[in-house]
Amino acid sequence: MRLEMSSNRQQRLCVAMMRNVGGVIVLSLLLVFVQLAAGESFSPPGTPKNIICRSPEKETFTCWWEPGSDGGLPTTYALYYRKENSDTVYECPDYKTAGKNSCFFNKNDTSIWVTYNITVVATNALGRAFSDPVEIDVVYIVMPNPPEEVTVTVIEDTNWPFLRVSWEPPEKADTRSGWITLIYELRIKLENEDEWEVHPAGQQKVFNIFSLRPDSTYHVQVRCKPDHGFWSEWSGTTFVKVPDYFPRERSMWILIAVFAAFIILTFTFIWLSYMKIHNLKHYVLPPVPGPKIKGFDKKALKNGKFEDIFSSLVVSDFPPTTSNYEDFIVENLEVFVPEEQELIMEDSKDLQDDSIKSENSTCDNDSGRGSCDSHTLLIDKGGGDKEEALQSDQEGSQDERVPTSPEEVMEEDLLACCDEKNSPDISEKVKFTPSLISPLPRYNLMNQPNPPEIGKKHCLSDSLLNPDSLPSYFTQPPSTKNDFRSNPWECNFNHKQHPLHPQTTGKEHLQVQNEISWVHVDRTEASLGVQAPSVRSTEYVEVQRVSGGNMVLLHPVSAGQENSGTMSHQTEHYSRVKTVNNDSGLLLLQKESTGEEMGICLSEEEVESRATSNGYTASITPTSEKPMVGINSTLPILDDRMASGYVDTATMFGLPTY
Amino acid sequence: LPGRLKISPLFVALVCLAFCSRLSRMKAASICTNSQTGCHFLSLANLFDRVIHHSARMHGISNDLHSEFELYFLPSKNRVSRNCHTSTILTPNGKENAQRIAREELTEVILKLLLAWRDPLWHFHQNMARHHKFNNLSSNKSLEMSEMVHELRKGVQKVAEKMQMLGIISNSLGTLGSREALLASDSPEWRLMNDYNLLYCFRRDSNKIQNYLKILKCRIVPEHGC
Repeated sequence: MRLEMSSNRQQRLCVAMMRNVGGVIVLSLLLVFVQLAAGESFSPPGTPKNIICRSPEKETFTCWWEPGSDGGLPTTYALYYRKENSDTVYECPDYKTAGKNSCFFNKNDTSIWVTYNITVVATNALGRAFSDPVEIDVVYIVMPNPPEEVTVTVIEDTNWPFLRVSWEPPEKADTRSGWITLIYELRIKLENEDEWEVHPAGQQKVFNIFSLRPDSTYHVQVRCKPDHGFWSEWSGTTFVKVPDYFPRERSMWILIAVFAAFIILTFTFIWLSYMKIHNLKHYVLPPVPGPKIKGFDKKALKNGKFEDIFSSLVVSDFPPTTSNYEDFIVENLEVFVPEEQELIMEDSKDLQDDSIKSENSTCDNDSGRGSCDSHTLLIDKGGGDKEEALQSDQEGSQDERVPTSPEEVMEEDLLACCDEKNSPDISEKVKFTPSLISPLPRYNLMNQPNPPEIGKKHCLSDSLLNPDSLPSYFTQPPSTKNDFRSNPWECNFNHKQHPLHPQTTGKEHLQVQNEISWVHVDRTEASLGVQAPSVRSTEYVEVQRVSGGNMVLLHPVSAGQENSGTMSHQTEHYSRVKTVNNDSGLLLLQKESTGEEMGICLSEEEVESRATSNGYTASITPTSEKPMVGINSTLPILDDRMASGYVDTATMFGLPTY
Repeated sequence: LPGRLKISPLFVALVCLAFCSRLSRMKAASICTNSQTGCHFLSLANLFDRVIHHSARMHGISNDLHSEFELYFLPSKNRVSRNCHTSTILTPNGKENAQRIAREELTEVILKLLLAWRDPLWHFHQNMARHHKFNNLSSNKSLEMSEMVHELRKGVQKVAEKMQMLGIISNSLGTLGSREALLASDSPEWRLMNDYNLLYCFRRDSNKIQNYLKILKCRIVPEHGC
C-alpha cells in the first residue's frame, strides 16, 4: 500500500513538475524578450549549496539549503529525495513550515534508520541547477531544542550558600519513553566577566554550584545533546543574585585581629618616636667599644705613623729589671674582716705583686724577696654588688676629687700598706680586686693633667661605702695637706714615680663595707717620699683600729709620722694586710718590700672596724698626726707583734700559706 | 519393627527426590534472595541497565570502526545499494511503531538481530586479522565487537527469562525467536557484503538494539531513569 501510494504521488509530482516547468519556461521566454528589448543578459541559476538537515526529536526533520545566483531571473527551488534501496523520487512535502529555502518532513514522512538521498534543484527560465546529493540518516542528525524551565535558586541553609540549578528537557524530545537519551551541560559566569565556567551534568537534571562570591550576580545557561547527535543551542540566560553573606564568627575574629594590630602599630609608632633615632640605633646596634690602650694613639694610627704609635707600647727596659719591679707591682688590698675581726698583717718581704694570688700562697713570712707570691687582699663581702658599688663610688669620688686620667681609673691597684690589727670584730673580708699596674706614668701619657696624680693608684675595695659617710670622704682636694677624711683611700703605688708626684695629702679613709660590717681605713695622707721628700712615696694604709664591729680602719701611713715606735720597722717591714683569713674573714695586707722607695706603712694603727648591726658607720679617725692610739681595747687578739705594727697573718692564724 | 524399616528407605528416597526437584526448580528460578549475604540479587531494572550499557558500548565500537573504515578505505562514490542481510527482519522504524509493538515482539526482534550478527562479525574479524587490514587497535575492536554480540544476546535472553518469570511477557518467546533467527543467520547474504557495508549495517543495527532496549525498559520498569 505504501508503494502504491508513493507511485501515485510520484505521478502527481511529475505532473506538477511539468506544469511548473512549462510555466517557468513561458515566463522566462517573455522575460528574455523583454530584456532583449531592454538589452540585459540572463543566465541559468547557480547550484544550491550547503544542504543541512536537522531533527529536533528524532521524529521529524528539516532541511535547509543555500540558493545560488538566480541568474537575474526568478528562480524556484525544489527538493527531491529518495529513500534507501528505492528509486522512487519524492518531493518535499512542506516548503513553508520551516521558512524560506527549507523543507520540513513531518512524522509520516520520516523514517528512522533509513538513508535519505536528498537533492535540491534550482530552476529558472533559462535552466536548472542540481545540487550535490546528500545522504542522511535521521538518527545521526538529531539536534534537540535547548532545555526548558531553567531555574536557579540560592540555598542558604549553611553559612556558605550555594546555587541549585534545575531544568527540564525540551518539550519535543521524548525522554520518558526512552526514545531519546539526553545529556546536559551548563555554564555559569559572573555578570561583568567574559569567560564562562562549563560544567558537564550527565543525564541529571539538577546541579549544585558552590564557592560563590557574595553579593554578586551570576548568569546561568544549559544545553543538551542526544547520545549520538549535535549539541543544542544554549538556553536563555537565567540571572541569579547571590546575597551578601559572611559568617559571623569569622567576621568577629577578623575585627578583633584588626583592632589589635592597629593598637600594636600605634604603640610601636609612639615608642619609636620616643626613642630618638640614635638612641634606637644604639639600642639595636650598640657601639663597639674601641680599644683603649694607654699610650696608643688611634689618630696616629690613622695617620700611619707607626713608629710613634708603637713606641708608646714598647717598654724599653723590658724585660724589667729588678729596679723596675715596682712598676709592675700590683697592689691588692684584700681585707678580710672575719668575725673575730682579726687583722693580720703579714710581714712579707715580697717585692713584686704581679698577679692576684689566692690566699694560699706559698710565701714564707721569713722568705726573701721574690719568694713570695703576691697576695691579693681579698675582702670578701657578702654582697658583691656592694663591693662593686663601693669601688665605683671610690672611682667616682676620685674622679671628683682628682681629675685623674681615665687610665688611672682603669688601673685598679689596691695598696694597703698599713699595719693592721686584726679586730675581733672584723668578720668580713674586704676584698680589693687586684689590678695590674702598667708603668704608664713613666711614659708619655695621653693626658696628664696632673702629673702628681698619675702615679696615684687608687686603692679600691670591693666593699661598699656607707652612702652617708661618703660625702665626707670625697671632698678633699688632693693637694691639701690637711686631714681630710673624705678622700677615698688612695695609695701611691708607683714608687719610682713618687718623686714625680706631689704628695697627696689628707686622710683617706677606706671604708670597706658590706652588709655586716665595713672596714674603715683611715688613712692619713702622708707621702713617704724617701728619695725625694717632696715627692710622696707610696702611702700605706695602716690599720688603725679594729673595732668590735666588722670595721677595719686603715689609714695611710705617712713617712713623716713620728710615732715611730714603728718607724724602725717601717724601713724594713711593711705590713700590709694581706688576708684576713678566718672562717669569716681575714685581712691581709701585702707588704711592700722595696725599702726606700716604698712608703712605709705604719702598722701600729689599729684597724678599726665597726659594725653596727644594721647600718654602717663611717669612722673617721683623726690619725694624721699621730699614730693610732688605741689598739688596746679592740684588739685583744693582737699580740705584741701587732703592737709593733704589723700582723703576721700566717703566725696569727697559722695558715699554711707559705 | 520390620515393616517400618522397610518403608523408611523408600520414604527417604521419595523425599529426597521431591526435594531435589524442588531445589533444581528453585535454582532455575532464582539463585539467591535478598537476605543472603554474599549473593547479589539483580532486579529487572538492574538487568536492563546492564544490557543497555552493554549495547551502548557495542554501538560505540561499531561507530568507531565504521568511521575508521570510511577514513582509510574510502569507499567508492557510487555506492551500491546496501542490502543488509537483516533487512528481512521486520523492525519498527519510528517511535510510534516501536511503542505500538508488543513487548514480546520487541524482545524477539532484539534477539533476532543479535543472533543474526553473531557469525558475520566473527568472520569479519577473522578476515581483518588474516589480511592485516586493520591496525592492532582496530583489530582488537573487531574482536571485541564480535564477542559483545554474543554476550549481549545472552544478557537479553536472561532479561527475557526474568520477564517471563515475573509474568510480564508470555512464554511464547523462546521458540519463535530462535527459529527465525536461525533462518536469518543461515542466509548467505551476509557473505556477499563487503566490509564497508557490513560495518555500516551493523552500526545501524546496534543502534536499533540499543534503542529498542531502552524503550522496552521504560515500558516495563519506567521508575528508574526514564
